[in-house]
Amino acid sequence: MRDFLSGVGTVISLELRQRVRGVAWYVLLGVFVVLIAIVTFLITIAFRGFGGEDSGSTIYSTIIYFVLLLGTLVAPALSGNAINGDRDAGTLATTQITLIGTWQLVLGKFVAAWVTALAFLVAALPFIAFSALLGGLSPLTVIVSALVLAFELGFVAAIGVALSGIITRPLFSIVTTYLLVATLSLGTLIAFALGGVVIQTDRTTTSTYGIDFNSRGDAIRCSEPTTSTYPSPRFDLFWGVLVANPYVLLADAVPSTFNDNGDPEDLFGWVKAGVRSAQVPIEDSVYDACSDLPEEDNKTAEEIIASTVPGWFVGMLIHLALAGGALFWAKRRTDTPAGRLPRGSRVA
Amino acid sequence: MTTTQGIEVTGVRRSFGDVHAVRDASFTALPGTVTGLIGPNGSGKTTLMLMLASLLKPDGGSIRIAGHDPVTETAAVRAQLGWMPDVLGSWSSLSVRTTLQITGRLYKLEKYVAVQRAEELLLLVGLGHLADQPTRVLSRGQKQRLSLARALVHDPAVLLLDEPASGLDPAARVDLRTLVRRVASEGKTVLVSSHVLAELDEMADGAVYIGAGITASDETMAATKQTMRQWRIKAADATVLETALVDLGTYRGDIARDRTELLVPVAGEAAAAELLARLVAAGIPISTFAPAVGDLEHSFLDLSKGGK
Repeated sequence: MRDFLSGVGTVISLELRQRVRGVAWYVLLGVFVVLIAIVTFLITIAFRGFGGEDSGSTIYSTIIYFVLLLGTLVAPALSGNAINGDRDAGTLATTQITLIGTWQLVLGKFVAAWVTALAFLVAALPFIAFSALLGGLSPLTVIVSALVLAFELGFVAAIGVALSGIITRPLFSIVTTYLLVATLSLGTLIAFALGGVVIQTDRTTTSTYGIDFNSRGDAIRCSEPTTSTYPSPRFDLFWGVLVANPYVLLADAVPSTFNDNGDPEDLFGWVKAGVRSAQVPIEDSVYDACSDLPEEDNKTAEEIIASTVPGWFVGMLIHLALAGGALFWAKRRTDTPAGRLPRGSRVA
Repeated sequence: MTTTQGIEVTGVRRSFGDVHAVRDASFTALPGTVTGLIGPNGSGKTTLMLMLASLLKPDGGSIRIAGHDPVTETAAVRAQLGWMPDVLGSWSSLSVRTTLQITGRLYKLEKYVAVQRAEELLLLVGLGHLADQPTRVLSRGQKQRLSLARALVHDPAVLLLDEPASGLDPAARVDLRTLVRRVASEGKTVLVSSHVLAELDEMADGAVYIGAGITASDETMAATKQTMRQWRIKAADATVLETALVDLGTYRGDIARDRTELLVPVAGEAAAAELLARLVAAGIPISTFAPAVGDLEHSFLDLSKGGK
């Protein structure tokens, strides 16, 4: 086991020194820091304008979303040719004939790609510290969101490295990695929206309107009840699609804090409340101006979240299975001595 | 399990779909010798080399590298095997020294051993002055030397060199030859594939010929030594020499003139020795008497012409 890990360590150090080190990488990090500085600055000003005091948690959640966005945009480019790019450069076979095993090679490349993506989180640390200074930041939120972010970046890195072992041409494996990330980030949203709109169920509203009113404006005589029927989208059937969305997953996993009105105190909470409310089916409704029943008031975000079920762990399991399966497949494709070779590919 | 060191190949074949790259390869390369692997382009040389290097699985037949099977005892084979590929890949951002150190680490050498070994190899292949340069600035010949050094990192018992001389200048070729002979004299088995047959002639103790995926048998190889080949003869006076040759029974039409030398077809070494003795006995002053083409080139041309 120690032997195995030391081999993985050698591959990681080789990857970090060969693949990552370069001017382009530092320029990218620099651009990222500048972007995040601008975003932090603007949000801070916006919240000062609202007179909000504990704006730290909002700024923090925005920064984390930003790191997730840029991380998932950059990670495929950096990891998506880890194996087939080496084959093209003629350095894969010379590594394979050493005493490094295929698992050590694949896992070493995966960890190196992961570490590279995590550098974005590290670069964002000063801004996270700044948001902590503004106050209102819950330690639990910080820990959970950082862990989930790291997990998601690892997921993208694993997919990138694995596809580079499965697909022969670097360009295609990078594009496929992007497509998969886009499918999860945007595709799930599109599927959710389209699915909800296409499958609609008729709902009826029974309304009784006031005709005569007393001096306080309460109805004292009402019309006959009228019913109207309208089609209603069934988002409650499709909310499950969203559990695999990295942004939803992140928001859903972080424990939310609420203010006195039951409103979430950070971006994660708002996203979570929005997604969770899709779980609640739209029922037939009754409106009666003459009845003494209080009108149903809208539930607060806090109540919605409390009354619905979390889905983040299902999303995590899906991502874990995808990443693990892909890495396993990549290992089999990269194994030597090679048995069957895919069409048009060569060993060295 | 055989205890033979070196390389033993018996009836190995490998196809890619419908293409039978190697149909039937058998040969033995012994420790302490340099064996050439020759054959025309597309004859299966590289496929055979990849199978020996434990990168490609044979469809059938058996391979033993230092007594181990590359398919079932891959790690044992790799610990004993150095491979210099024909594709010159290097980690472009890493320095020459770091490349060798990391290769040592990949072969599970302790860190300090890998560092020490890198210094030895830098001297051995003459890249000391470039040790701290990134490998992307190296010339083709320098990359070739780095590739050779990388193959020697773990002091392997069997060395596979795929086209090691291509792109080297004459001085570097002499260095390479000296190095390869030295490695062989240390009791290691060296297999060299090359197109530069004259080069192999000077370096190799024997050769394996492969054509259309089939290695030539020892008998076929021996037979090529008996076929007609041109000998280059030079005397002070070419006209006198020509007359003497005709007197000794050579058909005048077979004799070709190449500047001041004559090219004469002779069947085999024995016949050549006899011809020389008779020319000297006839009092002709001979200054050059040698095959017009090298041994390997002759075998190569003979086999690729006559063989399937």
